[in-house]
Amino acid sequence: MKIEEALAKLEEITARLERGDLALDEAIELFEQGLAMAAATKRDLDAARLRIDQVVERAKDTLSVEPFDVS
Amino acid sequence: MNDPRVYTVSELNREARGLLETALGEVWMKGEVVAPKAAASGHLYFALKDAEARIDVVRFRGRSPALAPIEEGMVVLVFGRLTVYEPQGRYQFVASLVQPVGAGLLHAAFERLKEKLRLEGLFDPARKRPLPPFPERIGVITSPTGAAFHDIVAVLARRWPLAHVVLFPSSVQGDAAPAELILALARAGRFTIDGQPLDFVIFGRGGGSAEDLAAFNDERVARALSASPIPVVSAVGHDVDVTISDFVADLRAPTPSAAAEQTTPDVAEISASVERSARRLVQAISARLLDAERAWRSALRASLVREPRRAIETREQRLDAAVARLAAFPRTRLAPQIERLRHLEEVLRLSDPRRPLARGYSITYNVGDTTPLRSGRETAPGKLIETVLASGRLRSRVEEVRDA
Repeated sequence: MKIEEALAKLEEITARLERGDLALDEAIELFEQGLAMAAATKRDLDAARLRIDQVVERAKDTLSVEPFDVS
Repeated sequence: MNDPRVYTVSELNREARGLLETALGEVWMKGEVVAPKAAASGHLYFALKDAEARIDVVRFRGRSPALAPIEEGMVVLVFGRLTVYEPQGRYQFVASLVQPVGAGLLHAAFERLKEKLRLEGLFDPARKRPLPPFPERIGVITSPTGAAFHDIVAVLARRWPLAHVVLFPSSVQGDAAPAELILALARAGRFTIDGQPLDFVIFGRGGGSAEDLAAFNDERVARALSASPIPVVSAVGHDVDVTISDFVADLRAPTPSAAAEQTTPDVAEISASVERSARRLVQAISARLLDAERAWRSALRASLVREPRRAIETREQRLDAAVARLAAFPRTRLAPQIERLRHLEEVLRLSDPRRPLARGYSITYNVGDTTPLRSGRETAPGKLIETVLASGRLRSRVEEVRDA
């Protein structure tokens, strides 16, 4: 899931749970779903490493994409 | 001895004028414009100065067409002759030609192009496209060896490492730069990652002289920018440098680093907001569990074993899983909430209606009744009663009521 969608979904779940009008089973299920989503999102954020490529013209009008060496 | 000649003021001024005009003739002079003033007559008055001195200059109306508006601080070349303004005995330069040079010339060309493109609507705010709040694919058009790309990458790596950056190398100064920049813009506009176009492209270079930045004031480059199918963020030079590219781009950033900064969210803030959501979830479920606990207690008082055993077990299992997940949640400050939830779980266990039954107690009803019997007086000999044990139920008939 895209980070943007995950954040929106997480907010939706949290707000819904906070309304407090759910049956207990539903509430626990939603809580688990939300917490799992928060954990997965946090993991994705922590694990993210910037990917850097460059477009290179190897021959005339032939482009290739190669990793860019930052160092 | 003859009397020395006595000039009148007018005579001397006229003499001086003749000397100045014939001795020097027509000359070129270069200097910086000071206090230009267009008089109602159409004549233009200003002074030219250098580090040490200044000369008043006048360009009479109709002498030569204006090449460009003359502005304070502009460096100009003037052609004309030095003369004396006789009524005041001041000497001044009468210019037949005024022409911006160097930076002044660039400046004049810049102003003309800017005005032209503005009139064509290229700077129209309605043309500016919004950038996505969480960009995934970011193009950069700049020199692969310049500081600009290095700066952009450094900011993105710290601030928004979820992005995928693609560099479209181009020279950023010199004669080849405009054509290369235009080619890079076309490539970036067509570029896709997994079928998705770039979210936007950062277009720029580090600081430099006015001549170094010339490519970013090129009309062809400006038109290529305005035709870009994806939003462009202009990031040219230092804060003070303003280029035509800045006006045409969808967003203008003062420097390449600032461009990376302004176009991305901060991963630390997003992370904190996810942790806030997690804490809110825990608070909400804790409140909900407290409600449930209260409800269960009163339900127990009313009817101890209405709840089928399987349902209770299922709830308990869910609660266990929830607590385990809480404990596994990474790097958050949830400890107090987890403690609260563990306590709640314990409360729920203790209020489990099966606990007393497991110790050998039982609950008895008159058959067809929902209130547990608390006193022998609530039944009578001959009545059918039902006894609920930890495992199984008994149906019996009352023989005798004692000590009621």
